[in-house]
Amino acid sequence: MEQDIEIDVERRGGSTIVSARGEVDVATAPALREGLDEAVAADAGAVVVDLTGVTFIDSTGLGVLIGARKRCLDADLELRVVVTEPRILKVFEITGLTELFAIHESLEPALEA
Amino acid sequence: MSVHVSPDTSDSDATDRGTQVPVPHVELVLSVEDDLLVLARLTVSAVASRAGFDVEEIEDLRLAVDELCLLVLRGRRTGRLVLAMAIEPGRIDIWCRYDGTEDPRDAGAEDESDLSQRILDALVDEHGPAMLDGRTGAHLCKQRALADD
Repeated sequence: MEQDIEIDVERRGGSTIVSARGEVDVATAPALREGLDEAVAADAGAVVVDLTGVTFIDSTGLGVLIGARKRCLDADLELRVVVTEPRILKVFEITGLTELFAIHESLEPALEA
Repeated sequence: MSVHVSPDTSDSDATDRGTQVPVPHVELVLSVEDDLLVLARLTVSAVASRAGFDVEEIEDLRLAVDELCLLVLRGRRTGRLVLAMAIEPGRIDIWCRYDGTEDPRDAGAEDESDLSQRILDALVDEHGPAMLDGRTGAHLCKQRALADD
């Protein structure tokens, strides 16, 4: 049984956008990790993770984002996260990750930050 | 995968819920494959919906059961995952255990385990280690916000 997740990596200006759509869990988190690795390797000024299309995220997905943040720090890159879905924002809040990540309510402000 | 739905004969007088399954309404047995956890989430959604939980509570349970499974599996890739769910008015209990011989593979995954604990702390009323069919596993309980409606 395969789960669908779509990951797109796009360069825009001084940022690399990693857009995810679908459910991020232990089965699909590796695809998100690959996209983030690609974005870090692109070595633009910032990595923007667009979770607008994500309908579920668990600790595995959050772990991938934490790992990406560490790699961004090592590479002197900023990592910004876009979250619009209240359910997803709730997961960041209850895990305390709103303190760790720069979270934006839409893509444009994240690109301009 | 197998699903077993038992008659509605749960022992509502069970006193030690964390360590003893009263008589589950639903038992789900999954091969340990990452992409089968979605079936655990779907099943708990259906059971919780039938038990009258609202959409927000069902979403909480979907994430909570996912985290419970991850804590029990600890990165294992073989064997089976056994889930038992019992419904009582305004309350759902879920037990989870690993059935296999593989040792945990999660060395170095303390961050994710800590996140799982925080998520469970926030989303359910009780959770912790528990026995299921004589084997160590984990248990969670969630009660409806308005149990008497």
